[in-house]
Amino acid sequence: MADTATQLESLVPPKELRRGPLVPAHRSLGWLTDHLTAMPEGKTPRWWWVLFIPAAFCAAVVLPTMLIYLISTGVGVWGNKQPVAWGWDIINFVWWVGVAHAGTLISAMLFLTRQHWRTAIGRAAEAMTVFAVMCAGLYPAIHVGRVWFAWWLFPIPLTTGMWPQFRSPLMWDVFAVNTYLIVSSLFWYMGLIPDLALMRDRAKTRVRKFLYGLFALGWTGSARQWHNYEKAYLVLSGLATLLVFTVSSIVGMDFATSQLAGWHETIFPFYFVAGAVFCGFGMVLVLLIPLRKWCHLEEIITLRHIDRICKMTLMMSCIMAYIYGIEYFVAWYSGSPYDAWVFGHRLFGHYYWFGGWIMLLVNGLLPQLFWIKKVRQNLVLIFVIAVLINIGMWFERFTIIVGSLYQDFLPASWHPFYPTWVDVGTYVGTLGVFFTMYLLFVRFLPIIAISEVKAITPQADPHHPLGGAKGGRP
Amino acid sequence: MKKTENILLRNREESSAGVPPAPNRQDACATLTGRRYWRSLDELSDTPEFKDWLHREFPQGAGEFDDPVSRRHFVKIMSASFALAGLGLMATGCRRPEEELVPFSKAPENGYNYGTPQYFATAMPTRTGAIPLVVKSYDGRPIKIEGNAQFPGGNGGTDRYAQASILNLYDPDRAQRFTSGGKTVSRDAAFKFLDDLSKKFAANQGEGLAFLVESSTSPSRARLQTIIAQKFPNSQWFTYDAIDSGIHQRAATQAFGQSVRPIYHFDKAKVMLSLDCDFIGGEDDAHNHIARFAKGRKPENGGMSRLYAVESLFTLTGTSADHRLRAPASQVGEIAAAIATQILNRPATIPAGVDPKWISECARDLAAHRGNVLVVAGQRQPIEVHLLARAMNSALGAIGNAVTLLPALGRAGDSIDELSGQLNDGKVETLVLLGGNPVYNAPAALDWVATQQKANSVVRLGYYEDETFETAKRPDDWHFPLAHYLESWGDATAGDGTLVPIQPLIQPLFGGLTELEFLARMAGESQTSPHNIARQTFGRSEEAWKRFLFNGFLAGPAAKPAIVSATALAPGINTISAPSASNLEIIFFRDAKMDDGRYANNGWMQELPDPVTKMTWDNAVLVSRKTARELGVQSGDMVEIALNDRKVTGPVWVQPGMADYSLGLALGYGRERAGRVGRGVGFNAYKIFTGKYIETGATLRKMGGTYSFACTQDHWSMEGRPAVREANLNEFQKNPEFAREMHEKEPPVVAPLYPNPLDEAKKTALQQWGLVVDLTSCVGCATCIVACQSENNIPIVGKDQVRRGREMQWMRIDRYYTADPAKETMADPYLKDSEQQFEQWIDDVQAVNQPMMCQMCEAAPCENVCPVSATMHDQEGLNVMVYNRCIGTRYCSNNCPYKVRRFNYLDFNKRPLADLKGPFYPTPLLHQTDGKWDLLSWWQHPNTSGMREADEWDLLKMAKNPDVTVRQRGVMEKCTYCIQRIQQAEIAQKVKAGPSGNVRLKEAEGTIPKTACQQACPAQAIVFGDISDPDSSVTQWKKYDRNYAVLGDLLTKPRTTYLARIRNPNPAMPDYHAPYSSEEYEKRGGEFHAVEKGNS
Repeated sequence: MADTATQLESLVPPKELRRGPLVPAHRSLGWLTDHLTAMPEGKTPRWWWVLFIPAAFCAAVVLPTMLIYLISTGVGVWGNKQPVAWGWDIINFVWWVGVAHAGTLISAMLFLTRQHWRTAIGRAAEAMTVFAVMCAGLYPAIHVGRVWFAWWLFPIPLTTGMWPQFRSPLMWDVFAVNTYLIVSSLFWYMGLIPDLALMRDRAKTRVRKFLYGLFALGWTGSARQWHNYEKAYLVLSGLATLLVFTVSSIVGMDFATSQLAGWHETIFPFYFVAGAVFCGFGMVLVLLIPLRKWCHLEEIITLRHIDRICKMTLMMSCIMAYIYGIEYFVAWYSGSPYDAWVFGHRLFGHYYWFGGWIMLLVNGLLPQLFWIKKVRQNLVLIFVIAVLINIGMWFERFTIIVGSLYQDFLPASWHPFYPTWVDVGTYVGTLGVFFTMYLLFVRFLPIIAISEVKAITPQADPHHPLGGAKGGRP
Repeated sequence: MKKTENILLRNREESSAGVPPAPNRQDACATLTGRRYWRSLDELSDTPEFKDWLHREFPQGAGEFDDPVSRRHFVKIMSASFALAGLGLMATGCRRPEEELVPFSKAPENGYNYGTPQYFATAMPTRTGAIPLVVKSYDGRPIKIEGNAQFPGGNGGTDRYAQASILNLYDPDRAQRFTSGGKTVSRDAAFKFLDDLSKKFAANQGEGLAFLVESSTSPSRARLQTIIAQKFPNSQWFTYDAIDSGIHQRAATQAFGQSVRPIYHFDKAKVMLSLDCDFIGGEDDAHNHIARFAKGRKPENGGMSRLYAVESLFTLTGTSADHRLRAPASQVGEIAAAIATQILNRPATIPAGVDPKWISECARDLAAHRGNVLVVAGQRQPIEVHLLARAMNSALGAIGNAVTLLPALGRAGDSIDELSGQLNDGKVETLVLLGGNPVYNAPAALDWVATQQKANSVVRLGYYEDETFETAKRPDDWHFPLAHYLESWGDATAGDGTLVPIQPLIQPLFGGLTELEFLARMAGESQTSPHNIARQTFGRSEEAWKRFLFNGFLAGPAAKPAIVSATALAPGINTISAPSASNLEIIFFRDAKMDDGRYANNGWMQELPDPVTKMTWDNAVLVSRKTARELGVQSGDMVEIALNDRKVTGPVWVQPGMADYSLGLALGYGRERAGRVGRGVGFNAYKIFTGKYIETGATLRKMGGTYSFACTQDHWSMEGRPAVREANLNEFQKNPEFAREMHEKEPPVVAPLYPNPLDEAKKTALQQWGLVVDLTSCVGCATCIVACQSENNIPIVGKDQVRRGREMQWMRIDRYYTADPAKETMADPYLKDSEQQFEQWIDDVQAVNQPMMCQMCEAAPCENVCPVSATMHDQEGLNVMVYNRCIGTRYCSNNCPYKVRRFNYLDFNKRPLADLKGPFYPTPLLHQTDGKWDLLSWWQHPNTSGMREADEWDLLKMAKNPDVTVRQRGVMEKCTYCIQRIQQAEIAQKVKAGPSGNVRLKEAEGTIPKTACQQACPAQAIVFGDISDPDSSVTQWKKYDRNYAVLGDLLTKPRTTYLARIRNPNPAMPDYHAPYSSEEYEKRGGEFHAVEKGNS
């Protein structure tokens, strides 16, 4: 017996090939439960209030004020004009859709590809997705001139016999964004159910018990429930993965189906998916780096996680750089003078040349720093880069939308675009909505998928050389 | 808030018996609404007297009237009542049968069809003539002005001023009351005052009575003037026009020794020389000049005239010229003298800085076309230049050919300078001002405010309570409201000497008086009805009078030329030292929109982009690049200009093509009391105006501070894109297809994956609409824009909104400056727009104009991106816009390569301009109007509420064309090819066809409607019609080699196409060039096909 044991011991891979445990802390499952429910169950920390109050102010005061002003007065309160009929409204729409992307990508696509490290960040990223899609979805609804007729965008059988026009990419958008919102919400909520049940079981007050219990949908943790749950989760992640591609492709097609130089490019669907994922990873980093510290999750969301997100970001950045290059190549190769003008002016143009440079440098060049391991471990630097990525991606959308519209085919109609305070206020308001919802999520729900994290602890895996019944350290 | 003083028909006592008791407006208004004019038929008829009368007249029908359900029956009764009752009821509305209004097309006695437009011939008086018009009227409201196409030599074209003048009629800021000492008095008291005045001066032979009037060509006014001169022999008559066009007549009279005035036939001349004469833009009668000029420039017929222009401002004439010499206005005389001397083959002294070859070749060309030349001098030039031009015309045999001389018109009074002298000498007791606004526009040296006060009493007939009203409020000063010409009976003489009637389309909205009635009352005449005065002047038979009104002109031979040929003497030209940076020259010019300031409160005019600068809602100090550089200023800098110790402050605008050291100052801005629209727009150049239009010795000082303009076109250059395609005549003759060769690379045409549904739908259509714009004829005068605005109820958005790029005009005229590519650098395309003003290439530019409206693409990019099918194609090839369906995603506009769509970013129709001044637009949730919460008024009257005051509302609604929807905010709109006119024509044809089934509109049968822009175009540059009819002119035009589609390489297949512009420069001239735009196109054309040029 002792021999066999020795042989088994020798199966442990050599040190350089060994993968470290995803939860290195070697804490007991009980400690994990206590630790991960500490935030929803404990006292509200001060930092939460410091963040929540301004965010809630933006969400509850700034945004409604802007919307009431906008809707009662007209789209003219924004800077939109001829020829730049789309301005911050669509820029921010695309930006929020982009932010919404990484969450589903992380939880669904990495789930399908069995990347277990996703468990620590999946829930937080998915929540980001859901809230960002809500912010994104707001814009198409309010940007139309007659908001009270925005429902005409939906295919509702009416006595007038009028249907939406299915050739319009804006129509596709309505379907894409709504489907994405529904599926990603379901996906997020489904993943929450076992943890909601856990919260219910641990709840000390009747109100908490009732509310968590209500949303836990009677989860008991039986093997049968787990079986169904896993199946459904798999199916949904399959769906959600598709949606990651469809939503941004269709948003890309909003532009690609036009014939405007700078928009009319076949690469746009792919371009927008890549950009969205890139931007989403940036936002995940922005959210998680402070959260892991403030919620004391350093042992769950480890530097290895951050490292991997950085690597993903780096990859997306390379794709972005490639696409930027292709765009310029095609602009030159197509021989279209309009394309040549637009792309030349993105960098050296009359008004918005800075947008083009920010886009190229921040999105294409700056993340190349992540090749350096030291950078990937410097949380402050990563945070700064992640914030810059989000800004860079905003400017990318600005460059694409405003930069292409303000100088199009006939020079006589060229006019520069300037935003107004209402544009800024509306954007700040949606940021407020996003952070308010996110902070509420952080405060009342476990931001780490507890059941999933437990499942990847060494002790949960009987086959892991370090785990299972053997216990102990190598 | 201004209120209507009196709307009731004044001459009720003149109406026939049996008229229903008109509702007592004063009482009704006091109880009903507090407003004093007609709002709806219901309101008007809702009085006990009326109902009582109705019961007596229509015992059966009256029951129906009381029954609210039977609306249709009610309308029937109403029309019957109105037809019988005549005018009694139509308070503000129609005065149809009351006096002898004979309609242009339909006789009203056969019954009046509500909702059917009627057309009446009338005329708009100008200073030196009149524009014969046909005015469209709906239910008694004139809504659209069109030129009288049947006028001899007319083509239905008008000018900007005529098109816009209808808005003045409905101006809520018009003078609406009679005042004495600034206080409202009753109409009767005012008339009594006139009677007393008349008696008083009849007693003293008119001693101390002085009239100050504006020029007029009205025979009736001349007759009254004579009567007054007889009755008050000691009265004095003075004339003042801030923009004086009388110099042509004065010069001709002086040159030929007879009282004559010249008529220019630009169509008859082969070679023309303009000596600072903006005959296409700022001169009187420009629309006729444009018509004749365009007629002489048809490259297809081989006959194409050539125009040389010497000018300092960059004017529309300079834009159209084949050779333009940029020279200070004060040097034009010397240049003219040099050319004149050269024509006589004598050595001439050439002013410094002018290419001698330009002078000599120009002179040679003129001499070579002896008999077919025309030399014109500008209204702002001194009389010597005019005499020189006459001398050249005489020497070159132009008199009797391109210049005809007609008997002089009007009796010139003495000048305002003399009046000023009289006033200062205390010789004027009562000063009568007929029209005009001398306090605003009299020469600054006269110090008119103080001078005017020297008269004991100032009696004024004025259209506005303006600056002159403001300074004449002493107890003895009186102010009478002037009637609009659309409210007036009168007569005038058109530029060619033809007598034209002015007949009213509406009873004076605010009870204004015409000049004729005022003068008749002054003269103590028994007959004060302006109709009868005009009728009496006309004489002749009743039949002839009716025909006169019906035709809108006195048919028959026009005035005979006074002199067939004559020789004029050449005067000596005084040499004036050339202007320099310290001795700047100022040119005061007639603004293309404000005229002399009279259109200041006209929002259409304020918002109309200046034809050259594209500036709206402003004037500026126009300077050349070089001058700006030397003076250290740039566009938008505030500067102070000093001339003769007077100063004025305004913003600088660097204008390409301006002569160096010249400052161009447009008159007509900076009104202090113009009304709600025009107050404080721009700066007042009259502050340094001396009565001379060209002044030297001015200095300019930078003040600090910048100013922001609202221009509808920011970018000057076409950037080598072939939007406007041009060639010289000889190139065109060698390669007629040049325009088509200038296409950019087109994608290969492959069989489409999805057939265009229009191809199938076409088969069910009777017509296929198309439009062609001839860029050779178009001079860019912008009449079409105003016509479109008037026809299609296009709102005014205000300066701030224009600055934000939200102007709503459905058509625009793109004006590009093109320059010698040798002067441009490759860095230019990457320069900031605002830095273009510093580039040398703008010194000598050519300019091209391109009217741009919806192109009605067969494969319209706007259509497939609309998520709600609000814009789609009809089977007749129109890209139609369904306002009701539009939710305003604005994608259509983004995807429109021509950017011709316009979006209602705010509720432009409901918001007054003051509420659009940004950056905070009041929300209707909190806003109050007339002291009432907007939301509440909206709840009570959803369709008439808004942020406008009630008096504005009523007039605004009256001005609207009932055939065109007024668009809500959040809705996209665009040019429709005037679909309402098409529909009306189609319906009319269906009615006419009856069982014959001949429902197709045919040009040969005259059933094809004209679009508003086409109708208004004096150059006939726009033709609209059925492209499926092989005989239609639009089809013919589309067959021309010059025909091309803008951005055709995008395969949008536009139905609007353009005929390329042909220039006709003289190859011997030193500035002979291919059109700069073609050179630029070739230079930048790495990606373009090079033009195969025959002559290279």
